[in-house]
Formats: sequence, C-alpha cells, structure tokens
Amino acid sequence: MSDDALMAELRETLASDGGLDEVQMRLLDSTDLLSLGMLADEARQRRHGQQTTFVRVAEVAVDASALESLGQAREIRVTGVPASVEAAETAVRAVAGQGVPVTGFALHDLMGLASDHAAEFARLLRVLCDAGLVAVSELAVDRTEDPESAVAVVADAGLAVSRLTIQDARGDARLAWVRTVAGWSFPPRAVQAFAPLPRAEGKTAPESEPATGYDDVRQVALSRLLVDNIDSIQVDWALHGPKLAQVALTFGADDIDAVPAVDADELGPRRTSLEDVRRNIRAASFVPVERDGAFESVTP
Amino acid sequence: MSTSSPAVDALARKVRDGGRLSRSEALTLYAEAPTHLLGRLADEVRAARHPSGVVTYIIDRNVNYTNICVAQCNFCAFYRPVGAADGYVLGFEELFRKIDDTIAVGGEQLLLQGGHNPDLPLEWYEDLFRAVKARYPAFRLHALSPPEVIHLSRLGQVEVSVVIERLMAAGLDSIPGGGAEVLVDRVRRELNCLGKATADEWLDVMRHAHRAGLRTTATMMYGTVERLDERVEHLMRVRDLQDETGGFTAFIAWSFQPSHTERGGTEATGVEYLRTLALARLVLDNVDNLQASWVTQGGKVGQLSLSFGANDMGSVMIEENVVRAAGATFCMDELEIVRNIENAGFTPRRRNMHYELLGDPIAWERDVPRMTALVEARAAGDASVPEELVRYRARTPSGKRQRAPR
Ligand code: SF4
Repeated sequence: MSDDALMAELRETLASDGGLDEVQMRLLDSTDLLSLGMLADEARQRRHGQQTTFVRVAEVAVDASALESLGQAREIRVTGVPASVEAAETAVRAVAGQGVPVTGFALHDLMGLASDHAAEFARLLRVLCDAGLVAVSELAVDRTEDPESAVAVVADAGLAVSRLTIQDARGDARLAWVRTVAGWSFPPRAVQAFAPLPRAEGKTAPESEPATGYDDVRQVALSRLLVDNIDSIQVDWALHGPKLAQVALTFGADDIDAVPAVDADELGPRRTSLEDVRRNIRAASFVPVERDGAFESVTP
Repeated sequence: MSTSSPAVDALARKVRDGGRLSRSEALTLYAEAPTHLLGRLADEVRAARHPSGVVTYIIDRNVNYTNICVAQCNFCAFYRPVGAADGYVLGFEELFRKIDDTIAVGGEQLLLQGGHNPDLPLEWYEDLFRAVKARYPAFRLHALSPPEVIHLSRLGQVEVSVVIERLMAAGLDSIPGGGAEVLVDRVRRELNCLGKATADEWLDVMRHAHRAGLRTTATMMYGTVERLDERVEHLMRVRDLQDETGGFTAFIAWSFQPSHTERGGTEATGVEYLRTLALARLVLDNVDNLQASWVTQGGKVGQLSLSFGANDMGSVMIEENVVRAAGATFCMDELEIVRNIENAGFTPRRRNMHYELLGDPIAWERDVPRMTALVEARAAGDASVPEELVRYRARTPSGKRQRAPR
C-alpha cells in the first residue's frame, strides 16, 4: 500500500472513532512528523473546532502564609508537598472563597499523607473538597500507584483531576505511557486534560539526553490520536515556553496551562501574558478562549 | 492532501510540478495555506534538492569586533554610541585568541561583523585580515555585511567595488548577508536603517561581491513593521539577484528580537517562523541552502525547521553578541546540533561557507571542549585600548582622546 493510501486508511479509522489495531498503532508511530501532525490536527479540530483554551494561574506554596497576588488568576493552585492533612486543608481554606476555583497537590503526595490507606485517602479527599478544593491539580502517571482506580476515588469524593502528567520518561517509555493512558477508563469529566510532555525530564536522571522538538511534537500528536478518553491535550506555557507550546497547538494540543496571572510590569501593556498567549494562539490560526481552574470558559 | 481552498490546492500542484511562484501566489500561500501543507511542500522541495538526507552545519565563531556604531538602528540592542563607556573594539591579540579557541573545537572560520565605528578606517580591517591570514593561512574570514562595506566606502571615500577588492586582497573570503533586515525602503526608514543602506544599496554590494568572485549569504530579519507583501518582496529581490549572479550560498531568516531595543514590542511567534521559513524555501527556488535559526527560535523549534524547508543547522554556537544582547539565550554546541540532526532522521555533516562537505562531526573523532568553557566576556570595567589601535586615525573626539599618548 502506498504512503498516501496508508494515511487515508488511518484517517478514516480515526475519523470514525474506530479503535486502532496494533499494526495501525505501529504505523502511526513511524509516520513522518508532518503527516502525523496533520492527522492530529484533524482529530483535535473534530473535538474542539478552532478553539484553544488557556488558563491564568496564581500559584501558592502549601506552606506560604498567604497568596502573594491573585492578579487576574482564573485558577489558584496550591503547590508543594503538604506536611500533614491539616496543613493541606489549611492551605486550601486560606485561598478558597475568592470566586476563583482552587486546585492543588499531586495525587501521589496526598496518597503518601494517607499512608496509602484507601479509607484514609478517601477521607482526606473529602476534607479537601469541603475546604474548597475543586480538583487535584496533577496525577503523575509514573509516580502514582494504580492511577485508574485513584481517579475513581477522587471522583467519588466530588473532585476532578485537572491533568494527568508524565514526570520523567524518555524514548519509547514516553509513548508507552500514552498507550497506557489511552487504555484506561474514567468517570465522565473526572480527568480534564492530559499533559503528555515529561515535566521533570532529566532531573531524576540528569545524565540522560533531553527531548528534542521532534520528540515533543510527536508525543503531543500521538497523544491526541490515541488518547480518546480525555478531552484536552495540554501544554504548559511556563514550562515549555511560548514557541514550543504554540507549535504544539498545530500538532494536536488544545489547552495551554500555567499562563502567569501577574504580568511583569516592565514588559509594558503590549507584552502582557494575556496578550502574548492570545497572540500566539491566533498566530497558530486558532481562537483563544480563557477558561478557569474548573475548565469552564470565562466570559471576558 | 487537499485543502478547502481551490487557490491553495492549485498552488500546491504548481509547486509540486516545479513551477515558480509569483509575488501574489507566494502571498496567497502564506496567507491561506495550512501550516502543515506549507511545511510539507517546503519539505518536498528540500528533499528534491538535497536527496541524500544530509543536514549540514559549520563550526565557526561569530565575533563582533566592535559595538560602537553610528547607524543606531532602532531594532538593535547591541550598539553603543561613540564615546560610550562600555563601547569596545577588540584588539588583534584578542581576535587571535578567539581564533585559537575556534580551531580547538574544530572550527575553520570567523564570522566577523560589527558596528559602524567611525574610528576604524579601512586600513584597520586590511591589516587585521592580513595578520589573520599570515598567522592562520587556511582560516577563513566570512566578514563585513553590506552595510559595513558601505560604511567603509563612505568613510574612506572609496567606491564599494574598491573596498571589496582591497578587503579581498587582504584576505576576505566571503560576505555575510547581515543588515538586510527587510529589503523594502519603507520598512528600512521605519527601522532607522535606511541611512546605513537602502535596499538597492544592500543588493548592489552583493552584486559587486558576486561579480568579484565572492560567495555570500542572504538574510531577512522579519517581524518588525513589515507587511506580509513586503516580506514576499524581500524574497523576490533576493531571488532576482540570485537569478542574475548565482552568488548566494544560503538564505537565513530570523525574527526580530525585541528585548532591550529602542523599538521594543513583541517577537513573531514560532509558527510564524516556520511558515516564513517554508515560504522562503518555496519562493527561493534558486538558493540551495536554508539555515535554521535555532539561535532565535530555540533548539526545539530550530530542529523542527528541518521539516519546514531548512537543510542546514547554521553555526555551532561559540559566541554571538548581537542577538544575545537582544535576549536570545539559546546555546548548542556541536554534540547538541548533531544529536538534533540525527534525531530528526538526517545525517549530520560539517561544511564550510561554500557548503562543501568537510566530513563527519569532529566530536565523533576526538574530545572537544564543550562550548561553555570557551565563552568569554569582556571584563567589567576594562577600558583599555588595544595597542595597535593607536596606529589608525580616529575621527571622533572620544576616539582621539582614547588613542592619545599617555
Ligand atoms: S544593527 Fe548593526 S548597523 Fe544597526 S545599530 Fe546595530 S550594530 Fe549598528
């Protein structure tokens, strides 16, 4: 079969929501970057049209006494590892009630607080929900035991998981995680986004080589094509930088996380993060839509 | 692949049939073609022109010999006015040290550019070039962009062709295509760089250089005040001169770096870069090589350029003051460039300025110092004047003061 015919077959299967067989999966993985990008872009547009969402986030450390500045945040995110259940609850209560959805924590850290005890873990999640948390901000698939079940427990407690992440994986392991995530099933809206680019790459094994641009956009494209069970494929404005984040939008990503809520004054009004992110989205031929920490669109 | 635009589909067919794009066709493609289609077309043209799958790079050193400049382009974060405390001119000895460092990492060329310093006459350049060639006979000098040549012509009241002849006699090997910005005078006026060279003057220097037997590159700095049709106009002017002389070895596009510049504003995005690069590959059907500007786009988007028409990763970073002054901070040494080329599915090869292949990566053959060990900065507060400078006539009061016997 010619390359064009193979592409046509893949395109048809993807468009009809049919599952990919093993041969097609392998084919996808070996497809050239631009063809893969086109397929992923089509899949993304079927799901989200021209819309690209972004969120402005104010981060607050779990042990900070107060939020430094709310700025124009549409999400308050509590970061860091809480020392105790009480510390986690206090941190959430300190920033809740300002009309901005509060998310926070990595799920494996919360499991650690509950000593990996299931009932204790469920109780902790309910405490945080009562304190005002709307979502656990991160579930690192390579740090969390049985992520699929963990998501169900989070959903039972009335919370969502903002995003699944991969902390540190290279080469084939990156794609293996995409395929694993694609095989899970979740309650509706329990997981809002999948952020497929490894976040702590090289930090746990600094001698290893960092991912290249090809690696990253291929990972984003394959995620959009294979991960049917999560609505959004997310890139991180602060972590990946505007250029890669923007290019990733043309390879299947539809959501930009971590846009700063407070602008650096010296950049002037034309260089605000809000303007910058909107400009980048438009320059990639998409329509920017601001959302909040609960993944609801914000009307300007 | 077909799009929802019959016009774009027809243009894609035209490109695939080897047709030449007109101004309006190029504009339509840029404005309407989806990014992946532009990339795909550029990639096909690149593959047809370079079927071996080789992606080249050069080990050279980009040295800015002086930051003193009277041109004062409003997009430049590098220059200092005459008399500025942090203005500098590199001495011959310092330049020799940089050449030694470059040779140590396998380099064979200096890319030498600088400000329009009224206190450096043509003789200074001639003596420098001769001194370099006497000491390093095989070492190449890729030096002095067209506006610098024009500056020397005005300063010394000599014809451009004579400046080029004299510099060639002293050892100039080729001319870099800097200072082109966008070759449209309306744009140049707004960037306050019309005075340093009009579009015609820039092209004329290149015409003289090509006729004199020099090969040169061509560049475009986009993303300031130009309209899309002016970007296309720039490409057309480069293509026309190339039809006439065939002297351009490569084309390099980069985005304006606004930080710390008088002009300020925003930088064109990564997608705009990839689209502009792809368009350049499609329009410049008579220019063999397109460089990826990873210095301005970062390593990741720089690598992605290889799918959007680029076949060359440019220069291994040893030093580049002009874009660094404007905030570009990306760095890649030879190992990193080679890794990115291979990761994209290409074969890395070293080249010279004429794009002749020199061989496998040096780093495969022997240990070379990593780049960071060689980056130097002028010591803070060091206001000393290179000793040979006193031999040249300064024109400005501050230059005269500096060179007066103590
Ligand atoms: S770009 Fe060159 S000519 Fe213009 S001000 Fe800067 S150094 Fe001078």
